[in-house]
Amino acid sequence: MSKAGSHTGLNLYRSRRRIGRVASTLSLIAVILLAVIVMFPIWWIFRSSLMTNAEIYAWPPALLPDRWLFSNYGETLENFPFWRYFGNTMKIIAPSVIFGTATATLCGYAFARLRFRGKKFFFSLCVGSMLLPTMVTLVPLYIMWTRGFGLADSYLPLILPFLCGGGAFNIFLIRQFVSTIPRELDEAAFIDGAGHLRILFHIIVPAIKPAMVVVALLLFIMLWNDLLQQIVYINSTEKFTIAIGLTQFKGSLGSDWVMIMCATCMSFLPGIIFYLIGQKQFVEGIVLTGMKN
Amino acid sequence: MLSIGKPDRIRSKLAFQETRTAYLFLIPAFVGLIVLTYLPLVAIFVLSFFKWKGAGTPIFVGWDNYVRLFTTDPYFIDSIKVTCYFSVVAVVGSMLYSLIIALLLNRKIPGRGFFRAVFYLPYILPAVAVYIGWAWLYESNFGLFNYALSKLGVDKVNFIADPNYVVPSLALIAVWLSGNLIVIFLAGLQNVPRVYHEAAEIDGANVWRRFVHVTLPCMTPIIFYNLLMALVTNLQIVTPALALTNGGPGNSSMFMTYLMYRSAFKSANFGYASTISFVFFIIIAIFTGLVFASSRKWVFYEGGDGK
Repeated sequence: MSKAGSHTGLNLYRSRRRIGRVASTLSLIAVILLAVIVMFPIWWIFRSSLMTNAEIYAWPPALLPDRWLFSNYGETLENFPFWRYFGNTMKIIAPSVIFGTATATLCGYAFARLRFRGKKFFFSLCVGSMLLPTMVTLVPLYIMWTRGFGLADSYLPLILPFLCGGGAFNIFLIRQFVSTIPRELDEAAFIDGAGHLRILFHIIVPAIKPAMVVVALLLFIMLWNDLLQQIVYINSTEKFTIAIGLTQFKGSLGSDWVMIMCATCMSFLPGIIFYLIGQKQFVEGIVLTGMKN
Repeated sequence: MLSIGKPDRIRSKLAFQETRTAYLFLIPAFVGLIVLTYLPLVAIFVLSFFKWKGAGTPIFVGWDNYVRLFTTDPYFIDSIKVTCYFSVVAVVGSMLYSLIIALLLNRKIPGRGFFRAVFYLPYILPAVAVYIGWAWLYESNFGLFNYALSKLGVDKVNFIADPNYVVPSLALIAVWLSGNLIVIFLAGLQNVPRVYHEAAEIDGANVWRRFVHVTLPCMTPIIFYNLLMALVTNLQIVTPALALTNGGPGNSSMFMTYLMYRSAFKSANFGYASTISFVFFIIIAIFTGLVFASSRKWVFYEGGDGK
């Protein structure tokens, strides 16, 4: 009786395992297929950037260019000053990311560790701002920066807001992360006479580095994706960013798709490079911070 | 040694120090919230009752802007419809897409890190470049999508040049861009306690039932969070209109943010643009309010009966 029972149990276990293996194989196939589909547009854009005008309008279209015309990129660079646009974009992004990450860390630490009057009130102010889209406040802010501070055609209206905590979401992210670090560590340091600033820099910051990388990357992506604010605040051609430059380039060329695809691919590249550099920490950080969501 | 009675004073001194440090650390955020968020919100409300071309004194016009917006403006009603249509398609699409990908990636498959990076990749590309790149894929005569359709024996479609297809076409790009949702879903899936799955398995629940009765309930807080973020992001859509369509063809991609941009920065109607912004704010508030209100019914928090 018991022998038979264990036997069927074993069979059941075996068939379960077989089902499990089949399911894993099927999901691997599904993932590969989906990955190919998701990557295909990028490949198509890239392959179009290497073709001649005759090839790009051929029907049926070819999967691969006949000859890989990297010279297209040289020609595009004559009309599309990518490096200047890139430099300008970095002039906005670099200070913004640094300021945003630094102030988000300060605020996140204060929310996670310090006891003070009005904490709940502050916190709900933060929560509320998270749901308030940037476009809602664009008109008054534009008036404030350009009329009030005389900052027309300047990068400062795009940078200065990041001195203010880098957005509620990033403050939360840091706060969640800080609260996972055992309090004993900073209490020990406190007993040894360390002040809050020392605790923050010598104990908390080294421990929350992954979260800070995530915040920095999220800020980077946010600024990288922006077009509306840049178009609103920047007027002169010499100050154009990649986003504005590419929009103008597309607008003026209309349908010279080879050159437009070259410019598009160039604009893809910096983000991909930054992502590859920070990818490991980034995913780790998201997973760690996601745990406390 | 401290004498009896002093610790109290020391404690209060420490508390004072702590409060002071906290305020010091929070000054930036506080200034930001007041000056860059809440005051401007008040400002658009006030400005929405004025006519102001950016020069001279603003003229008080009462409810005129609102009346004009809802009665005679040829774009506004369309823009609400288009924005809501886009948001619903994009949010539902990207939630389903990213949940499916996350479920697949949550299995023990080789090269998981690599695939995760692949699906995340579109999100880190600059939005303008993505929309312009896709415009080529959507090209009416030689684009990739029309080639695919011709293989299936379907007639050519103008995608973003066709008023009926422009919104779904742009929404598909938004779905493609939703890699961030995948990463957050994945983090959530990895936190679903294994014991629940094991218990359900012992009780004889199959994969589907385990998904419906274990995974989904455990995931509801993450689904709620992603839903909220996707909604706020997609309601604000403006880049494709700025970079590609200029709101067209017709009014078919006249997103609210683009309409606001146009009246403020093309026609310098700051008062009118503020009215649009304020109505838009109310619409977002309604949407997020609905999501929050419904969340009581479907979001489960562990260790509590819906606190």
